Amino acid sequence: MREKETTLYIGPQHPGITGNMMVKLKVTGDTIISSSTHVGYLHRAFEKLIEQRNWLQSFTILCRFCVPEPDPMELTYARAVEELEGREVPERAKYIRVMVMELARLQSFMLWYAGQSGSAGLYTLGQWSVGDRNYVLDLFEMLTGGRVYHMYIWPGGVRRDLPEGFKEKTLKTMDYLEKRLDQYNQMLFDNTIFQKRAQGVGVIPKDKAIEWGVVGAPLRGCGIKSDVRIDEPYEVYDKLDFIVPTAEGGDIWARALVRKEEIRQSISIIRQVLDKMPEGEYYNRVPNPMKWTIPAGQVYTRTESVRGEIGFYVASDGSDKPRRVHVKGAAYTHGVTVLDKVLKGQNIADVSFILNSLGVCPPEIER
Amino acid sequence: MSNDLVLENEILNLIKSAFNAEGNVIKSRRVEVFVKKDQVSSVLLFAKEQRGYIHLSHSTCIDWIEEGEFELIYSILSPKDKIMLYVKTRIDRDNPVMENLDGIWHQLNTYEREMREMYGIEFPGLIGDKEFCLEDWDEIPPMRRDFDTVEFARKTFYQRPGREDAKDVRKTLTEQSGEKIPDFATKYSRE
Amino acid sequence: MSFFDLKGLLQPLTGIRQFGKKPHTIKLPDLLLNTADRYRGLHHNDLEACIGCGNCSTICQNEAIDMINLENIEHKDGDSGLRPRVDNGRCCWCALCVDVCPTGSLNLTKDYIFTSEDANDFLWIPGVDNPEGNNNLSFTSDTNTSLSMYQRVPMRELDGKERVKSFAEVVLGYSEEEARREAQRCISCGLCTNVCPDHMHIPEYINAIAKGNDADALKIIYDNNPFPEMCGKVCTRRCEEVCAIEVRGEAVAIRWLKRYATETAPTAEKIKEIVNPVIKESNGFKVGIIGAGPAGLTASYYLALRGFDVTIYEAQAHAGGMTMYGIPKYRFPLDSIDKQVDYMKSIGVKIKYNTKVGKDISFEDLYKNNDAIFAGIGFQNAWTLGIENEDIPGSIPAVDYLNIINRGDSYDVGKKVVVIGGGNVAIDGARVSKRYGADVTILYRRRVEDMPADWEEIEGAEDEDIHIATQTIPTRIIKGDDGKVKAIEYLKANMVADDKGGRPRPVAIEGSETILECDTVIGAIGQEADYSWLPESFKDKIEVKRGMMIVVNEFNQTGDHKVFAGGDAVNKTADAISAIADGYAAVIGIENYLVKK
Repeated sequence: MREKETTLYIGPQHPGITGNMMVKLKVTGDTIISSSTHVGYLHRAFEKLIEQRNWLQSFTILCRFCVPEPDPMELTYARAVEELEGREVPERAKYIRVMVMELARLQSFMLWYAGQSGSAGLYTLGQWSVGDRNYVLDLFEMLTGGRVYHMYIWPGGVRRDLPEGFKEKTLKTMDYLEKRLDQYNQMLFDNTIFQKRAQGVGVIPKDKAIEWGVVGAPLRGCGIKSDVRIDEPYEVYDKLDFIVPTAEGGDIWARALVRKEEIRQSISIIRQVLDKMPEGEYYNRVPNPMKWTIPAGQVYTRTESVRGEIGFYVASDGSDKPRRVHVKGAAYTHGVTVLDKVLKGQNIADVSFILNSLGVCPPEIER
Repeated sequence: MSNDLVLENEILNLIKSAFNAEGNVIKSRRVEVFVKKDQVSSVLLFAKEQRGYIHLSHSTCIDWIEEGEFELIYSILSPKDKIMLYVKTRIDRDNPVMENLDGIWHQLNTYEREMREMYGIEFPGLIGDKEFCLEDWDEIPPMRRDFDTVEFARKTFYQRPGREDAKDVRKTLTEQSGEKIPDFATKYSRE
Repeated sequence: MSFFDLKGLLQPLTGIRQFGKKPHTIKLPDLLLNTADRYRGLHHNDLEACIGCGNCSTICQNEAIDMINLENIEHKDGDSGLRPRVDNGRCCWCALCVDVCPTGSLNLTKDYIFTSEDANDFLWIPGVDNPEGNNNLSFTSDTNTSLSMYQRVPMRELDGKERVKSFAEVVLGYSEEEARREAQRCISCGLCTNVCPDHMHIPEYINAIAKGNDADALKIIYDNNPFPEMCGKVCTRRCEEVCAIEVRGEAVAIRWLKRYATETAPTAEKIKEIVNPVIKESNGFKVGIIGAGPAGLTASYYLALRGFDVTIYEAQAHAGGMTMYGIPKYRFPLDSIDKQVDYMKSIGVKIKYNTKVGKDISFEDLYKNNDAIFAGIGFQNAWTLGIENEDIPGSIPAVDYLNIINRGDSYDVGKKVVVIGGGNVAIDGARVSKRYGADVTILYRRRVEDMPADWEEIEGAEDEDIHIATQTIPTRIIKGDDGKVKAIEYLKANMVADDKGGRPRPVAIEGSETILECDTVIGAIGQEADYSWLPESFKDKIEVKRGMMIVVNEFNQTGDHKVFAGGDAVNKTADAISAIADGYAAVIGIENYLVKK
């Protein structure tokens, strides 16, 4: 008997993503025939608002593009403005920025652990990793004064220097997290349930991945080595020693393996940065923000975030406010067109599981 | 370092000569070309099929309201050469129609839907819901420069009372001193 | 992998190991988490230190900060009297307000818990609603981290050794790039405009310079000051004393920026082209102006623009008044004056030189032939020192000395000069003498920090190797055999705190008499006005107070409603910008009196 086609709505609230987004599925039985993504539940018109604020004021909204990993937004914008203006950034600030990037990556990975295991029904690990994430947030609080939204990296450098005792505390936290990672992996990667759910599910074909617009860990999970930190090194990534892991298969399992290794690389980078960080200035002062103008021009800067490439296309008309800031987030393709392709033929129960492994962050789609 | 830009100049010159277009090597790994709007699809296809620019990074629009034009930008990337190519074109702001290109990259479908909603640009033949982020929108497309968000917020949302006693510092000072700022100077006063 | 993967099933059970461990969580509310030293919590504002500049309110992208009037806080010089109120329902604790606060009064605290059932409670006046917040500051700004630009773009000057050789202008002026950079420092609060006697539109013209529109800047300046080049060079600039940036750093160089704007118009024709003033049709009224000083010129300029027939009667051969005859040319060159006076003439102001009212023409005639009179009177007569031998050759008041030099005559000061006084006139006398090769000492009763002269002038004098002998009280001038000055005797003084809370007074030390040989003594302890032009018959209406001041109303109108007055003789501050303000106020007064009556 041929089963009848039904329409199913997943969301706007569901555990697969951080933020509200609805996926409309066409299914027969348990199998997905097609999907379409509907956004608009979070639309806050950031890009429009940025056009109405001056160059510095904008930096306070940037972090709100993405709760799990706000810092790459700040860095990408800051780099775009610096490139337009030709402003130099002190060496120490570059190291601090890289450290912030990796700390942000780290805490975002902890959330991913929670989301990825939670959407597979493994709830214990989520409690652990979100709890341990707070230790990273403690570091952010000490450094920037804020736990989730840091508003710390701004054009010209960073906002404040490292506080006293920060280095020691960070190293201690890294040692602790590294130990905990072994326990996480026992809970997740050694777990048959996770293995069976993840392997062969949500496959992105290797030959199509780049053309589909896949970036970040999902692309590396297809066995393609691609990482902005290597391809187009920014700040001081070219002076650091780290590897970009890849895995074959293009499925959820491969993406998870990639992330499992990346998190260790982040810890290693943080240690290297703290070791190599030079003394000196941390900020190349910008003029009075109310009267700060940027020469006309257009630039695109990109940064590797947990979810993949984040880019800012910034256009200036020479005034004290940006003419246009376009934010390119990985989720824009992952969450709409790629999702539609990947979901075809999958089970309903895997939707949030797949969404999580693609790293979909709805605010990046609506902006 | 100038000889490092060999690949950049190569793609630039190829497109320049094949399409009679203008363009620049902006810096290492960044090339821009300006083409007419009916050439965009051929340039994109040429770059994608023949020069390895298989990744569409993003596409966006800038409203040059003073010049009466929208600037459309297609940023494409060659993973092999690691060069990003911006294909830029300008279209008439009063009659904003652009060719639907989601056949070249499917993800352009999303960008085009967004531009249709946010800038009011029409893409004949574009498939997809009219509404992308917005719901029941009956103002002018909101990303256009002439859409006033403050004005919109004032008339749409309830303004909570209790802050009417706020004073403008500059104005308060002029009231104290009796200074009269001439009209032509007020555009330089603090906002 | 077989379906029954034993390891994979058992491995996750190792999580049970955590079972007996102490939890990482803490119990609320018994134990509150101690926040980091930089935590961005609720605001606190030091109400005393705050000057109500409103920069916090301007930067706030959430429109969370309002500037409001508070009880007990009145506006005063350098304080708008307004204070910020934060809407905690809008605030996102980005702390940009902290980073742009020029005084450092606004900070964030460690407190982060605030609950209320009433939404109105979230409108918060930092410092009023949490007076104890001061002990709990966390996210603060200092002059290194603040976004305010505390350092002034330095002004280029001739080297001290070079400049004493001539009367070439010492200050070289900002280049375009320097001016733009300096103008960017201004936060446009406008506190300066309140203390400017003329209430010039300072934030507006500085902003025009910052945006690269020098012509607009000049137009804004000419709106109520027709003598800006003079102000740009020698104004006493009280505006800079109350600059918001000055609280923790160096004030915006308002004077130098004005100077820069005026230098963009090098000729009178160029000024006219840029300012492009609207000259109204003649209204048939005639106004006579006494004195071509800043007050008289200002009144004439704006009266002429408003269609009045204006004639200035000037006793000297040159316009400019005390700015022409009292200020040395290395500070305010002759061609600067000429350029501005030429511009005024070009819009219809008439000047009769060498015409002293009361001598060459009678006040009564003037009174009869005009519909209104404006008297712009400077302080030309020096106060006497009141010491022995003050009137012998070799002793001369500074105003007279400067007058002689400025009109192009010469005066031999000899090798050693002593100047008595601590104001700008004293420094002028000293620095002019230095340019004639003399060895100069300034005797001043109090300390250097008490000197009323501009700090730049004091520094300038020091750079030129002028010795400043402080806490010295001259007692007599010693006459030589030739009948001329031979030396001066003075007492040293101690500074004694004033019981009534005034500034410390110098008290002479008995037996500390010191004799300093010199060829010339220049007295510069103050000046007063000359009223020889005013006939006795008018004095019952035009009241001259003790202390030689003319009494006027807010429009500078005297008891005789046809006569207006301004300048040093009227205002308490006795400087050029006050004279300009008087002239401008009188224009409004005359217009009200004649046209709108």
